[in-house]
Amino acid sequence: MTVVPQVAGREISNPPSDGISNIRFSNHSDHLLVSSWDKSVRLYDVSTNVLRGEFMHGGPVLDCCFHDDSSGFSACADNTVRRLVFNYGREDVLGRHDAPVRCIEYSYATGQVITGSWDKTLKCWDPRGANGLIGTYTQPERVYSLSLVGNRVVVATAGRHVNVYDLRNMSQPEQRRESSLKYQTRCVRCYPYGTGYALSSVEGRVAMEFFDLSEAGQSKKYAFKCHRRSEAGRDIVYPVNAIAFHPVYGTFATGGCDGYVNVWDGNNKKRLYQYSKYPTSVAALSFSRDGRLLAIASSYTYEEGDKPHEPDSIFVRSVNEVEVKPKPKVYPNTTT
Amino acid sequence: MYNHHNDPPSHMETTCGSLLSELQKIWDEVGEPDVERDTMLLELEQECLEAYRRKVDQANRCRAQMRQAVADSEAELAYLCAALGERPVHIRKFEQSTASLKKELELITPQLDEMRKRKNERRRQFVEILDQIHNISKELCRSTEDNLFTMAIDESDLSLKQLEELQRQSVTLQKEKGDRLKQVLDHLNTLESLCLVLGTDFKHTVSEIHPTLDGSSSTKNISVDTIERLAAAICSLKEVKIQRMQRLQDLATTMVELWCLMDTPIQEQQKFQNVTQNIGASEDEISEPNILSLEFINFAEAEVLRLQQIKSSKIKEVLLKKKLDLEELCRTAHMVAKAHAQDYSVEAVECGALDPSYLLEQIELQISKVKEEAFSRTDILEKIEKWLAACEEECWLEEYNRDDNRYNAGRGTHLILKRAEKARALVNKIPAMVETLTAKARTWEKERGVEFSYDGVRLLSMLEQYSVLKQEKEQERQRQRDQKRLQGLLIAEQEALFGSKPSPTKSGKKVSRPSMGGSYNNRFSLGGAMLQIANAEKIGHSSSILKKSNRVKQQTFQNQSLSSAKRNLDATGLAGKQHSFNSSNTQEIKSAPLRKPLSPVSSALLSNVNIQNGIRTEHEPLKRTPPNSKTPEATPTKEISVVDEEISTPRTMPIPMPPTPSTVSVAMQTAMTPATPCFPLGEDIEFSFEESRFGFVLPKTNLKPLD
Repeated sequence: MTVVPQVAGREISNPPSDGISNIRFSNHSDHLLVSSWDKSVRLYDVSTNVLRGEFMHGGPVLDCCFHDDSSGFSACADNTVRRLVFNYGREDVLGRHDAPVRCIEYSYATGQVITGSWDKTLKCWDPRGANGLIGTYTQPERVYSLSLVGNRVVVATAGRHVNVYDLRNMSQPEQRRESSLKYQTRCVRCYPYGTGYALSSVEGRVAMEFFDLSEAGQSKKYAFKCHRRSEAGRDIVYPVNAIAFHPVYGTFATGGCDGYVNVWDGNNKKRLYQYSKYPTSVAALSFSRDGRLLAIASSYTYEEGDKPHEPDSIFVRSVNEVEVKPKPKVYPNTTT
Repeated sequence: MYNHHNDPPSHMETTCGSLLSELQKIWDEVGEPDVERDTMLLELEQECLEAYRRKVDQANRCRAQMRQAVADSEAELAYLCAALGERPVHIRKFEQSTASLKKELELITPQLDEMRKRKNERRRQFVEILDQIHNISKELCRSTEDNLFTMAIDESDLSLKQLEELQRQSVTLQKEKGDRLKQVLDHLNTLESLCLVLGTDFKHTVSEIHPTLDGSSSTKNISVDTIERLAAAICSLKEVKIQRMQRLQDLATTMVELWCLMDTPIQEQQKFQNVTQNIGASEDEISEPNILSLEFINFAEAEVLRLQQIKSSKIKEVLLKKKLDLEELCRTAHMVAKAHAQDYSVEAVECGALDPSYLLEQIELQISKVKEEAFSRTDILEKIEKWLAACEEECWLEEYNRDDNRYNAGRGTHLILKRAEKARALVNKIPAMVETLTAKARTWEKERGVEFSYDGVRLLSMLEQYSVLKQEKEQERQRQRDQKRLQGLLIAEQEALFGSKPSPTKSGKKVSRPSMGGSYNNRFSLGGAMLQIANAEKIGHSSSILKKSNRVKQQTFQNQSLSSAKRNLDATGLAGKQHSFNSSNTQEIKSAPLRKPLSPVSSALLSNVNIQNGIRTEHEPLKRTPPNSKTPEATPTKEISVVDEEISTPRTMPIPMPPTPSTVSVAMQTAMTPATPCFPLGEDIEFSFEESRFGFVLPKTNLKPLD
């Protein structure tokens, strides 16, 4: 609850030279994968603050993710989906979309790569075989964000559509939904325990949704406002660019164009923490595998078009348990 | 001289006598004195003497010259004879006595001329032959000193012997030249065949050695140097040939191996027939043109590479399949694959860090090992399954026992009762199960010398933990029982005092309930704790089962928590509103109302109202913010405040027109009216920041004005 001004965290040296589209911690180490508009994907070792590798692409890279600790995938605006092998600096094209690829995820459950593109399709790829494409699934609109949990895929597109798929049966969506927020979807992220997803919009608001379609299940959903500022009696609303769930506590951080990072406890509907303001919009967030580190991409997201802005940078801060741990609920019989 | 005037003397004497007598007569007539006459006669006599002496001198000189000439001629003749190696002609000896000098000279001159002619002839021959020798040796590139020696004609020795010598020399040289030429041609032939096989340009190779060798000029350079270079070239080409041959044969061997390995069809093999046909050929057997050219080798190499790639991809496929098999085996046997997993990653194989066939072998080995182990585990595994199932039942039973309404009659209650009965029977068997399992696991471990692990956790420790938990549980139960007994005593006392008996269950219920509904409860129940020991996958599974069984109860709990959630939500919404309304410090506001939900709200009525509010806050505030307004900050605040005041009926609320430009307010109204929230899909298409930055489609009004 308390807002204590703190240092922004350690800044990563050699950041990308243009807008940062996504950052992700590895599931195995403190390596950080960063995709950027400067057409590069970079791999940092956060523990030593060393740039471990760099891959140049044919266009701006809009998303990236890890495969295992030694390889990853990238989604490029030159329509390609690539696989990157870090140790050998090798990259190969898994396949292409008909338009820039907006987002990419790797499913550990099925061993597939899932990509969403502005060509209004979702594609699944096998990263191992030569003919990687497993399937193409048409979406109602351009895909803006994508999230996975277990066998579930949540696809958020333009026009505020949200499709929920089961990876084992991709022939049609398990659920077709409409965003409960009124404005363009910015980011969607599944709860780590798999019961639903959080969805943020360009209008300073986050909706907490549940997969369970029963009345009881749906009655739990709610939305809350965030990343707003009141100035001279007027509400200034900022887009919420990023959501990242804490891997241990299930709490989550949001980052907005106001340059703030907030940490929330979704179960108790409380804000746990607000970090001090970052130089420019928070474009992406990622917790490390043990939740002890939080990487923050402070990078202008062009919400106001091309204008002079602060340099793009990545901060890594160590997370205090107090900042992310849900305030203990009073369990009457914790002894058993 | 006297001979010359054999006839005339008489005449001359007469003339001299007559002249003297004539003079006597004259003098007589003149009467010259005798003295005068004597002087005159003396004078005459002296003049005569003078004339004679002059003539004699002259003749003498002439003779000397003649002798010199003869001597010279003779000397020359002798020299020439010597030079020509002929017997000297001794003319002079016998001539000297007999013939005069002139005759001698006459005799010697033609001989001399003859000799000179012969000498010139001989000299010409010498020059000719020397020229020949010179030319040949030049071709042979003999050393130049040698040349100089033979080149100068020795004028003093032009004998036939010398000539013959020279001729012999010339012949030997010519022979050598022939030999050399033959050698060069041989070399050239060899070179040409080598070049043909290796597919290199013969003319170019040869002209590099010497420009005359490429056949364009009639004479070929045959110097030792050239021959040496030719030999060197042949040698190096041969080396190259052997190298390439070995390379090609290596490739051919690999190719045939790969064909065999992958059953390549004959048609495909046919194309590389000429690669493989030379597999066992020796160096000189390979003579087919271009068979060892770089292109050909590259061609073969490319094929081998292709085959190898196919092979490695096949191996990779097999490897992956095996890996999956192994994982599957491990999973079914509840063994942790990690214990076996080396680095089987495809990357390692791809990059050559590991030999795929070795890996394959390893993985096979492991599969057999795992299979064997799995077989030995089956017996125990079955028991474990049973035990875990029993634990689940125990867990359920425990939950069920806590439900104070369990005996309330309702639909399906009899089934639950039956289940409980069964569960109780099963639970009773658990200690025996645990015992046998422990024994079995012990013997297994003893037999194999390895820990028996179930999904990575040692079974014995699982069992132990379970018993410990059970014990604790038992103690706890004992404690509660004691407490209840005490409470009962107290109540009885009170009853005795006041005559009324409050229900003791209520407090108990409150205590036990919430622990069950929460998402983390499983860990507080015995079975759940047990299951948690198993790996994560397992947890998800079992918890879902638990949930199913607890569905009814959870539902009720959810309702309860829901209302509180709604309350909270309302509070946050309220906080936001106040925030905009008061425009005061964030910190303060956020902290104040958020604490609210923690304060007790007992009234059911209030919670009902709050639920409504909650629903409203979910949707209504969104409608308030105008979607198309360029300056949204200007208007919404007031509105929000209005809504805040009229909590119950948001839909019918009056909208006071804010003091803003009319265009803005119009935009706002359009935002307000639509019943279905699909306004962003109006006539203008929406774009994300990324799309507009990338210029994905011509952006129109892509940016939603937000601040």
